[in-house]
Amino acid sequence: MQFDFAAKELTIKLVYYGPALSGKTTNLQSLHLLASAESRGRLMTLETRDDRTLFFDMLPLTFASKSDISIRIKLFTVPGQVIHGSTRRLVLQGADGVAFVADSQLSETENNATAFVDLRENLKANGMKVAQLPLVIQFNKRDLPSIRSDAELAELARKGKEPVFPAVAMSNKGVLETFLGLLHLTYSSLDAEHRLREKFGLAGPVLVADVAKKLGSKIPAEQLLRSSLGGALDVLTAEKKAGA
Amino acid sequence: MSHLRTANDDEFRAPNHSTEALALALDVRLQDLVDRDALGDLTRSVQTLFGISLRVFANDGFLLAEAVTEQEICSYVGSMSRGRVACMKTVAEARKAEPKTSYEVTHPCFTGAEYRIFSIDYDSRKLGKVVLGPFLPAETSSVPASLAEAEPGTDQKRVLELLPRMPRAKAETITLIGEHLRRTLDLILFSGHKALLTSQMHLSSVRESYRELQEKNASLQEAFDRLRELDRLKSNFLGVVSHELRTPLTSIIGYSEMLVEGIAGPLGDEQKKFVQTINEKGGQLLELIMSLLDLSKLESGTVELRKGDVAIAQLLSEVASTVAPKARRKSISLDYTADPKLPKVTGDLERLRQVFVNLADNAIKFSPTGGAVHLVAAIAATSEDAGDEAGFSLLAPSRRMIEVRVIDSGIGIPPEERDRIFDAFYQVDSSSTREHEGTGLGLSIVKRLVDAHGGKVAVSANLPSGSIFSVQLPLPSPRLEEEAIR
Repeated sequence: MQFDFAAKELTIKLVYYGPALSGKTTNLQSLHLLASAESRGRLMTLETRDDRTLFFDMLPLTFASKSDISIRIKLFTVPGQVIHGSTRRLVLQGADGVAFVADSQLSETENNATAFVDLRENLKANGMKVAQLPLVIQFNKRDLPSIRSDAELAELARKGKEPVFPAVAMSNKGVLETFLGLLHLTYSSLDAEHRLREKFGLAGPVLVADVAKKLGSKIPAEQLLRSSLGGALDVLTAEKKAGA
Repeated sequence: MSHLRTANDDEFRAPNHSTEALALALDVRLQDLVDRDALGDLTRSVQTLFGISLRVFANDGFLLAEAVTEQEICSYVGSMSRGRVACMKTVAEARKAEPKTSYEVTHPCFTGAEYRIFSIDYDSRKLGKVVLGPFLPAETSSVPASLAEAEPGTDQKRVLELLPRMPRAKAETITLIGEHLRRTLDLILFSGHKALLTSQMHLSSVRESYRELQEKNASLQEAFDRLRELDRLKSNFLGVVSHELRTPLTSIIGYSEMLVEGIAGPLGDEQKKFVQTINEKGGQLLELIMSLLDLSKLESGTVELRKGDVAIAQLLSEVASTVAPKARRKSISLDYTADPKLPKVTGDLERLRQVFVNLADNAIKFSPTGGAVHLVAAIAATSEDAGDEAGFSLLAPSRRMIEVRVIDSGIGIPPEERDRIFDAFYQVDSSSTREHEGTGLGLSIVKRLVDAHGGKVAVSANLPSGSIFSVQLPLPSPRLEEEAIR
C-alpha cells in the first residue's frame, strides 16, 4: 500500500498467484470487461507468442470515494510457469493481498500445492508471512469434467482458514466475488494496521459496496461476499476488527 | 508489506525499492515515456494536417515539443510595444491554463483568437497538456474591441487584412483534434509504459537470478572447500596408518623368511609351504601399503623429486628387462623403440622408472596370452596439435615434449571411462578386480608422478583392440636440448 497525501490517493496492490494456466490472466480480463471506462485503465499483458504470461499482467482500477480520497487498485498476475521464479518473487513484492487461483481439475491438485508452496517461499524471501497476508483462494474451471467436487471444496474450505470461491473465469463466474473478497480482506487488514477509516473516513464495507456497484454488480456486495465457502469473510467481524 | 509514503522518503531505501515503486506506477513522468524527437515529429504532422500550432508541456511546465508558425497578425501586434506585452501575457496564461472539470479548456486571446488546452492523462493521472492554437473560431465575423484596447496603435485596415489569414476552426473540430491527440498520446504512453515496465522487470529478474546464482556458487564453493579439506585429512590419515601398518608387517615378512630359510630349525614340506604363503601374502600387503603411502605423499604434496638428467632410451631398456619375466610367463612379446640420441629429460630417475614399470605392468596384465606390448619413445610431434585450432602461433607450447607410448593389445578402455581411470582405487570393471589383481592405485600414482614432473598422461584406443598410454614429459629449453644432441 502507498498513500500519497498530496494527491489523496491510496494505492493497493493485489496479486493473482497460482500454477501455470490456472486462469490468472483470464480473471483480470473478466474484471477489465466489468469495470466502467472511467474506473479501469488499460489491461497490460506481457505475454509470449503462445499466450503464456511472460512477466506479469497489470490492470489498474481507480475508484473515487465519497470521502474524497481516490482508491487505486493495481491488480497483477504472476507468470505461472516454473522457470519464472524470480519474476514471481519480484511481482509479489509489496503485495497487500493475494488471490490464489487454483485449477479445479483433479490432475492439477499437485500443481496447485506446488504453486502454493512456491508462494509461501517467495513471500518468505520478501520478508512476508503467508499467515499474515490477506489471502483468498479461487477454484477456477468449475465447468470442466473430472474436477474436485463441490462437496469436496466445501469440506476443504470449512477446514481451511481462507475463503474459497468457486469460479469459471472464462464465463465471468466467481471473478467479481473473488476480487471483492480479496479487497475486503485486504482493506480490513490495512485499516487495522493504519487506521484508514479514522484518517480518511472510509470504512471497508463502504468501499467494497462502492466498488461492487462500479463493477456493475446488481447484487449487493455483502451477498457476493457470502458466496464464499468457508473463511472468515463475515462483514460484521471485519467491522469490529476495523473499529478496534 | 505496506508503506506509507512520506516526503523525505529515501529514494534508494531498499535495493528493490525501484521495482516496488515501478509496480505501483507512482512516478511515471511524461518525459520518461515518450521520445521527444518522435513527439516533435507528431506535433509537426498535426500542424501540417490542421494548420494549427501546438505545444506539448510536461506536468512541471517543461516544453517537450512544439510545432509553431507565427501568425502574421501576431507579428503585427507584437511589433508594437503594448501589443507585445499583451501578447506575451496571453501566451503565458494559456500555458498556465489547466482543464479542471473536463479534459479541455479554452483560453481567449485579445485578438479574438483562441487557445484550447487539453490535458494528457494516463492511468487516471495527469501527466501534461497540449496547448492548441492560436486559431480563429469559425463564427468570428468582426474584430473584437479588446484588440484596440490592448494596443490602441493598431491600424484597423491592416488588422482586417491580417486577422482572416489566421487558421479558422469550428469549436467541435478543435475538440475532435484534441481528442485524436489524446488518444494518440495514450497509445504512445501505454506502449512506453509497457516497455518501461518490461525492461525494468527484465533487469530486476536478471539481477535476481544473478543473486541466486551467486548464492549457489558461494555454497558450492564452501562445500568444495570442505571436501578438499576432508580429502587432505584422508591423505594424512592414510599416510599415518600405512606407516603404522608397515612396521609390524616388516617383522612378519622378516621372521617368516627366516623360518623358510630354516634358521629356527628345519620345517616339514607342508609347514614350509604355509610359511612361504604367509611370506608371499605379506609381500603383497607391503606392496599395497607402499602404494598407499606413495599416493598419500603425492596427494599431500610431500614427495620430493631428486631431479637429474634421465636418458629415456636407457630407462626404457631397464623397464623392459624388469617386466620381461612377467611378459614371458604370458607369452607376450615385449619390445621397446627409442633413439639413443633422444634428448635427456630432467626428472627423478626412480620415479620415472616407477611410472613406466607401472604402465608396462598394466599393459602386460591386461593383454591376453600371446599378445604384444610396445614401448615407444619419440619427440612429441607438436605440429599435429595445431589441428583446426585458430591462433596456433600463439597457442603452441613453448617447450617441446618427449613422448613415451605404452601400447598394448589388451581389453581396451571404453571412451567414457578414460577420464576416470586415473582416479585412485578406480578399475574399469570392478568385477575384473579378481581376474586382474591389483590395488587400483597404479594409474593414479602414475598420473601424480607425471604431474609432478610437469608432464601429461593420456590414454587413447589402440585399434582394433587395446590401449595406448602416452606420457609426455617436458624437455629443457630448446637451446639446451640442441646442445645435448650435439
